[in-house]
Amino acid sequence: MADRDEEFDAYFRARRDAVRRTAFLLCGDWHRADDHAQAAFVALHRHWRRIRDRSSLDAWMRKTLVRSVVDESRRPWRRERVTDAPSPAVLVEGPADGVVMRHVLVDALRAVPPRRRAVLVLRFLDGLDVAATAEVLGCSQGTVKSQTADGLVALRAALGEAVDDLRPAR
Amino acid sequence: MDERDRDARLTATFQDAAQDAPPAGFDVAEVLATSRRLTRRRRSALAGAALAVLALTGVGVTAELAGGSETVAASSAPSRNGADAAAEPDARDADRAAGLEAQAAPAPRAAPHGAAEGESPLGPGMRECADRQDPQLRALVEQVLPEVEGAPEAPTTRECRPGGERGLALEVRDGDRSGVLTVTYLPPGASSDPASGARSAPTASGGTVVVSSRSEEAGDRPPFADRLDHVAAYLALRL
Repeated sequence: MADRDEEFDAYFRARRDAVRRTAFLLCGDWHRADDHAQAAFVALHRHWRRIRDRSSLDAWMRKTLVRSVVDESRRPWRRERVTDAPSPAVLVEGPADGVVMRHVLVDALRAVPPRRRAVLVLRFLDGLDVAATAEVLGCSQGTVKSQTADGLVALRAALGEAVDDLRPAR
Repeated sequence: MDERDRDARLTATFQDAAQDAPPAGFDVAEVLATSRRLTRRRRSALAGAALAVLALTGVGVTAELAGGSETVAASSAPSRNGADAAAEPDARDADRAAGLEAQAAPAPRAAPHGAAEGESPLGPGMRECADRQDPQLRALVEQVLPEVEGAPEAPTTRECRPGGERGLALEVRDGDRSGVLTVTYLPPGASSDPASGARSAPTASGGTVVVSSRSEEAGDRPPFADRLDHVAAYLALRL
């Protein structure tokens, strides 16, 4: 038990912030992100002994996290409705600083359906390739490719074609 | 801009967007405490079910003895076999090696289908915030769907939902299919907009029960998909 907790503690300390960031871009809210991240870590602790391949922990956490967020988005009280019109916060004109850009992207991601949003977050925040993303989401690589393309289209629609120039020059 | 450049810029943009994290709202001690609490609760439920089986087995043996049967040992065998058969799906879960579970499995089946007849429906929850893994709701679900006995709780958020609601989310297996079974009770007056494939029904207390199942693998048939109507109807009489 002590060994398990020590191992878990080390993993938790190493990965908590990354898991929170992934959860944040998946759901768009830091409080809910903490809820999802904590629930995923609790589930991980309960499954710890069964996950013999420690190199698969990150994949297990991502799968659990995505499932938690997508499931919540389907619940009656939290049902997400994708709209064609971006929220007012997205309609930023002209040059903007990094803070505004962060809000712009987060708001734009909210306009993307949850599964496609998950594909974008796994690929562009977590840096997974197509195969690893397909493994996490339990779908084919073709589905990941098409959802990446569709997700970027949706992102561009929300951002007014500014996605490629979104990041300020440094 | 080629695809690699685009991906690199997107990655930088996404990482930048998630930089301003507030202090974390949880630590490892809280995670461990929650995990242990859930484990204790599950084991308590299993122990209670095991005691119920022992009590029922005792009644069965007494009845046989009273009837002059000389096959007491034989009479207990089907019960045990039934327990093993019912517990077989649970054998995939390493936590179920405790031995209680093989005995616990038949307990829900011992509850008669019409057990709620003449009893008051469970109705709205009484807590300040809805229990997202409501033990009373779970007990009812295990009556109508004994296969989910001992199933691990699926991750849920800790959002405070109105206290009248009840929730349950389980990681379930149905043969070679696995997924998440979700049951939600909405109190009278609460609106419901069930997800695609979900079954909802008005309940005896005037609320609504919503039952849904989602497969772990996209495109697979969800576990217990052909029994959701029955589960919703069963729960509707008791909620």
